[in-house]
Amino acid sequence: MKTLVLSLALVTTALPAFATELTVWDWKSGDPAAAAYFAKAKEVFEAAHPGDTISYVMQPNDQYYTLLGTALASDGGPDLFLLNGGAQARARFENALPLDGKLGDLAANLAGTADFSEATGLYAVPLTIQGFVVYYNKALYADAGLDPAAAPKTWDDLAKVCAAFIAKGTAPCIALGNKEGFGMEFWFSAIAASLWTAQEQADFAAGNLAWTSPQVVAVLQGWVDANAAGWFPKGANSTAKFMDEYEGFMRGETGNTIGLISDVAHWKQFDEMLGAENVGVFMMPAPGGAAAKLPAAGGIGYAVNKKSPNADLAVEFAKTLASAEVLQVFFADAGAVTANTQMDTSSVTSEAAKTIFGWLATETVPMAHANASAAQLEELHRQSQTLLNGEVSVADAAAAMDKVGK
Amino acid sequence: MHWVVAVPMALLALSCVYPVFFTVNNALKDNKGYILNRFGIVQDPSVQNFVDAWGRAHLGEYLFNSVTVTLGAVVLLLLTSSLAGFALAMLRFPFRRVLFIVILASLMIPVQVVLVPFYRTMMGLGLINTRFGLILAYTAFFLPFCVYLMTAFYSRLPREMVEAARMDGATLLQIWWNIMLPMGRPALLTLGILNTLYCWNDVLISLLVLQKERTVMVGIAALRGEYTTNVPLLCAGIALAAAPIILLYIFFQRQIVDGIAVGAVKG
Amino acid sequence: MARRSEQTTALLFVLPAIAMVGIFRMFPLVWGFLLSFTSGDGQGGSVWVGIDNYRQLTTDTAFHDSLINTAILLATLPVWVMLPLLLAILIHQGVPGGKLFRAVYFFPAVLSAVIIGSIFNVLLRYDGTINAALGSVGIEAVDWLGSGTTAMASLIAVALWSTFGMSVLIFMAGLSTVSSELIEAARLDGAKPAQIWWHVILPAMRPILEFVAVVTTIGVLTSMFGLIYVLTAGGPGTSTTLPEFLIWMEQGKMNRPGYASAISMVLFVGMAGLAYVQIRIMSRNANG
Repeated sequence: MKTLVLSLALVTTALPAFATELTVWDWKSGDPAAAAYFAKAKEVFEAAHPGDTISYVMQPNDQYYTLLGTALASDGGPDLFLLNGGAQARARFENALPLDGKLGDLAANLAGTADFSEATGLYAVPLTIQGFVVYYNKALYADAGLDPAAAPKTWDDLAKVCAAFIAKGTAPCIALGNKEGFGMEFWFSAIAASLWTAQEQADFAAGNLAWTSPQVVAVLQGWVDANAAGWFPKGANSTAKFMDEYEGFMRGETGNTIGLISDVAHWKQFDEMLGAENVGVFMMPAPGGAAAKLPAAGGIGYAVNKKSPNADLAVEFAKTLASAEVLQVFFADAGAVTANTQMDTSSVTSEAAKTIFGWLATETVPMAHANASAAQLEELHRQSQTLLNGEVSVADAAAAMDKVGK
Repeated sequence: MHWVVAVPMALLALSCVYPVFFTVNNALKDNKGYILNRFGIVQDPSVQNFVDAWGRAHLGEYLFNSVTVTLGAVVLLLLTSSLAGFALAMLRFPFRRVLFIVILASLMIPVQVVLVPFYRTMMGLGLINTRFGLILAYTAFFLPFCVYLMTAFYSRLPREMVEAARMDGATLLQIWWNIMLPMGRPALLTLGILNTLYCWNDVLISLLVLQKERTVMVGIAALRGEYTTNVPLLCAGIALAAAPIILLYIFFQRQIVDGIAVGAVKG
Repeated sequence: MARRSEQTTALLFVLPAIAMVGIFRMFPLVWGFLLSFTSGDGQGGSVWVGIDNYRQLTTDTAFHDSLINTAILLATLPVWVMLPLLLAILIHQGVPGGKLFRAVYFFPAVLSAVIIGSIFNVLLRYDGTINAALGSVGIEAVDWLGSGTTAMASLIAVALWSTFGMSVLIFMAGLSTVSSELIEAARLDGAKPAQIWWHVILPAMRPILEFVAVVTTIGVLTSMFGLIYVLTAGGPGTSTTLPEFLIWMEQGKMNRPGYASAISMVLFVGMAGLAYVQIRIMSRNANG
């Protein structure tokens, strides 16, 4: 009898230890550029934890958060889930395990943690850094009578570039896709990066800088002025940023585009489509004389479901996903800028990429839109479209933004 | 006079065929070729996208899931709705009207409205991640309309038929199986076709219920990435997924049109 | 006694359908109703907040706009019914190529919203095919999907295009069943073709017209999501945001299931009046 009880106890305690399957949700693991990275993480983890297995569940990007919210609200979520940094991450922190003190040595080597944290701690392990830079088509600059080697440094420089494009009349100056309102997100953070002081960035993040304040109004006014001056192509509100805007840029139809460095690197795609010699890059300047700066923040990261019965093991896998060894594959295949600062980027050959990595190594500033709430971003999307259509004034749009809770 | 209306009608018809051309034409391009030339006819066609969609995007396996689930749901839908329709139209029993109205009312609940409670219900019953669960979910979602149509159809048939069969000593179950099911064939055919379409094209319910195994439309939805979408690959996937349905339609066009005729009209 | 057992058997016949509908649709609906009085507590759980969510709805401009958009959509319903009817009549009268048209018009109904959306994006964008065609005859380009005045109309047009074939099929079927003796008798009485249509054929078609109207109403109120997502994402501003889309957004991006439930309930109750009329029509047809 005693042995029976004993062996039963053994069986019940031993079973989970050699047959744990971690369910991991994402919207990327099937992407050809990311597939090798995810496979590598699984392989490394399963080798280190014999018997345990990783099961990736890739959800369609457009339904991801609806499904995640539904599953988490029903206590049926995955063990780990991928999140976009900023507002989307913060909306899910209530379901995530606090990770402070759980990451060991890795913690010291992680950038971009601010976008996965709240005052109460860190809730996700960042994988990548996201930033906005302006890419330009050197061939079109030459066509417009501009020096392809002289990238704009100030707002006046940019105004001259756009004047030349308008005078030439064959290609719009700055590509814009604002169908989902993403054009505004990029514009907002890129301009704010160069316009705002560190204190103003912090105030905005804390919800203490009103949308009707001069600093924020200046960003919205810049959007309206640039549109009025003819910098943007017509029809921006019916153009998707991903990928209509960028496809147009890759066809050589537009001079400049505010693009991404992220888990997908635009320099890689642009180099391939336009030829590396035709791709230039600069930081978006802002109205006024301030030096242009690079907005960057945590891109994507993994959170552990606090209700997961295998939370400890899930944390281990998150560490594997964020380790330099595994992320190296992501960088090599997709050009992903990783949050792990131990990454070796010396192998990169693209001129545009080298320039960007140089900027990243020095100082970056916060990505303002990532510090707005999900509800504010949604309202910003809407206001940005009506601003472009001239259906609302900047003052009214800013006032409407202030009405939306943080 | 005929030609004056025939021309716009022909243009409309052309617009209905254009998507097929668009899909196949782009599926034969590579990604770079598509980005550089979206509208043009494919220059050097390649079937690589179809190979990738079938293998790398797993549409091959997903097709099997779709076929299983669609078949299962359609069979279950036809059986339950014909059974209920027979009772509601021909038999007298308490609460008949109330039950009919409850079924009709649930026609008005869109999926989005009940996402979380529906998911929890499925979870509570242990139906998440099972094909059977998805079959039940589809049946529940598309059933109200089927019950309505079958009730409407059967209520136009002479009730004396049932009485005569009863005189001969047949049980109600026998009457349903031997008389009502065969008599209901046109309406059942209509419903079979419509529900095959609904189940096959559904994304949201399938995403919720079947998270480890996938159905083919979910596989296609997943081909649209966050930052990039390989449109030619997507087109190849769509062509593969739509092919069975289009073939079915072309093959059974006669029956479909007649079926809809009798099924809808008699109602 | 036989009566009793027949009643039991009849109930048993309806039971599978009622059980399915009850468990998977009615029960979640009631649950959703309860959820609409809750809000996230910031700890992954939820707390009872009474009618707060509903009070918030009264000041939510996006929600108000979505109701107005729904009203606009419903106002176009006659077109959704009459256009396919007209096409069916023309085919029935033997327009050249009618057989082929009838077959081909059904195609869009088979295709998913993703592909339909992608194609119309290409056609309707500012530098798209339709504007190019208009430009060649000297008409100024319009940002069909990007301007507040045309976006909803464009969305409706695409949705109509993608579903009209089914209605044409149903009407064709209906027309073929109108008794030819009736038409012949009217003709002998000296009725003109237009009179025959108006006084003989259309009245005979009334159940079919109602059937199509009901099916279409349900369709536009419950399955526009796919097209909205691909074509306009609810914009510009809120000009193509429908309650269905708003629910999805609150549920997903905003992570507010309680608030999403409140919108769902208002939508459901709002549809109740409509549903009542439809149920009347449907049960009359079913119990004829």
